[in-house]
Amino acid sequence: MKRILITALACISIKTTFSQQTEQPIKGHLNGSFENYSQYYMQDDKIGATAPQDKVGSNNFLKLDYTYGKFTAGVQFEAYLPSINGYYDIAANQSKLVNRYFKYTEEKFSVQVGDFYEQFGSGLIFRSYENRQIGINNALEGINIYVEPTEFLKIKALYGRTRKLFDYSNSITRGVDAEIDITKAFASKTKEHSTHIAIGGSYVGRYQEYTGPIDDYPSTVDAFATRFDLNSNDYSLNIEYVNKGKDPHFINQNSFEKGKALLINAAYTKNNLGITFTGRSLTNMDFRSERNIAIATQLPVNYVPALTKQHDYLTSNIYVYSAQLKAETGFQTDLYYSFKPNTKLGGKYGTKIAANFSTYYSLKNNNDILSGGNDKYYSDANIELKKKFSKKFEATLGLQNIFYNALVISGSGHENVTSNILGLSGIYKFASKKSLKVTLEHLWTKEDKGNWASLITEYSFSSPYSFYVSDLFNYGNSESDKQNHYYNVGASVTKNSTRFALGFGRQRAGLFCVGGVCRFVPSAYGFTATLTTSFGN
Amino acid sequence: MLKKILYSSLLSFLITGYAHAQDSFSPIKLKSVSGKQINFAEVAASSKDTIVVVSFWATWCIPCISELDNINEVFKEKQAIKPFKFIGVAIDDSRTAQRVKPFVAGKGWQFDVLIDINSELKRALNVTDVPHVMIIKNNKIVYRHTGYIVGEEDNLFEKIKSL
Repeated sequence: MKRILITALACISIKTTFSQQTEQPIKGHLNGSFENYSQYYMQDDKIGATAPQDKVGSNNFLKLDYTYGKFTAGVQFEAYLPSINGYYDIAANQSKLVNRYFKYTEEKFSVQVGDFYEQFGSGLIFRSYENRQIGINNALEGINIYVEPTEFLKIKALYGRTRKLFDYSNSITRGVDAEIDITKAFASKTKEHSTHIAIGGSYVGRYQEYTGPIDDYPSTVDAFATRFDLNSNDYSLNIEYVNKGKDPHFINQNSFEKGKALLINAAYTKNNLGITFTGRSLTNMDFRSERNIAIATQLPVNYVPALTKQHDYLTSNIYVYSAQLKAETGFQTDLYYSFKPNTKLGGKYGTKIAANFSTYYSLKNNNDILSGGNDKYYSDANIELKKKFSKKFEATLGLQNIFYNALVISGSGHENVTSNILGLSGIYKFASKKSLKVTLEHLWTKEDKGNWASLITEYSFSSPYSFYVSDLFNYGNSESDKQNHYYNVGASVTKNSTRFALGFGRQRAGLFCVGGVCRFVPSAYGFTATLTTSFGN
Repeated sequence: MLKKILYSSLLSFLITGYAHAQDSFSPIKLKSVSGKQINFAEVAASSKDTIVVVSFWATWCIPCISELDNINEVFKEKQAIKPFKFIGVAIDDSRTAQRVKPFVAGKGWQFDVLIDINSELKRALNVTDVPHVMIIKNNKIVYRHTGYIVGEEDNLFEKIKSL
């Protein structure tokens, strides 16, 4: 703590000196944002939505950052009055000033004390971040230093405890990451290089005291990562390998097995073509700040997202993959291509194609991440065509085939679900700022809850106003009393960086996933209001 | 203890806050699609009175893509009327960041795209949702807008013209 004090004071004194030397008095600036998400719950027995006692959930975030040349300080105020259903477990009204920080930034040096976010490599070994939709905030409270001692070397070091809602973990996380730009270190400095090669390495250690009876039970979990990055104008290759020491905890049932992960990304681009391949194999990579955590969104140290396409259709979000941190192996590949305008396939305005395929399996031997197993967890093959027919009309066609191992991914329902989805969307622009968008979707499956159909209509009659009506209908459910309509109606108004939206309808129970991390959202019926605004200069 | 330090730091900061340092953005580092490190503060400062449009987007955000497709379609035409810099800042995290480069190539977008891998710039500029577009002139944000409805790019071009 003394070190933090010295650093903060040093920063302030540097600032004072700097201020005195500057000739032009120019004011510092304040910028911030406010976000409110509220729900009013009503009883709806048909979809199993129960209204909580006070019928209201409201999540509020006010963030303020003050920048003064090289100095920035900020706070975030969070109020849950109480939290919306399924988001944390805050039954009573609670609010607190959180995420306080003070940062000094130079071109090649920065130091931050207080709460901070950071990431090493792709985040497979360490990532602290905030995702308000899903309810993750694993900022570290402590000190974070960044330094570039030479042109080709970057070093990050951090030390702190993890935010645990309105409290902190009873553990310490420390880490260091170094990256060497090989191109800058060894190649000619006068020449502009089209290819960049970098190598990096990270260490992350988590200490949580253990006072139990087991002799060799580790209080400290050490993790190491190495990575290689190659980037040029046309292609790129990134490889990352992580090795995590013995990390027994609640979720892995106190397993003493080591964690391992290998991630490979490759991409090729040329003219109007883009191709990417991502492969990842891992075992025992659930890494938390505390051992006794059971909820997916609480206290993660690292970030292991589902490497599949993030879909936007209502029906595509019924069967969503989440990475199996215990063990999985798989890959995904994407293709993007544009047929140029005024060509045979492009037509007058061009045609765009996006295709994606992903598949994930178990490991045969959980200690060997290169041993592919026979249990299929998930696969997704999809293609999307987007074509503009005139200045006023464009349409999108989407096709998707999904295999979903319900037992492994959601721990319930049918063992395997195979589904096919057809999506058709059209936008008609009938005046400069007036448009109508209609999206029709259908999901076919013989398993689980059967077929679904959906319709979304969005009408923008005059910017900044927009209206929507949507319905997701589970008409194929074999239990006729569960053939529910999940209808929604709403409107939004936007003025510069302020947006207000009001909606009414039914929310389907299920996994709500953002960035591959999921939380369970219960059925809900009622009103939803959202207000977001950003301000400052 | 840490609380005290932070509060006193913040207080000293606000008391002396009227003054002195050169107005600029934090030197946050972003990556270009070819892996080059780009200092956002330098981009903003070096543009002086040339307008810089910064559009926050993601490969999974449908309205963002619709907005950028529509901007790209008239990009050269609008540049000819009044030159401006346009940067698409992708807030894709490591789930989808590897898609950004092939996605942009496949789309044939003509403007620069940078990657904000752990949302550092998004956070620093207090962007709550994507799409979010801002206009920077003389090192200051002079306009910002959240969300996108087809046709709203006309408002942006009108704004650029008027500045």
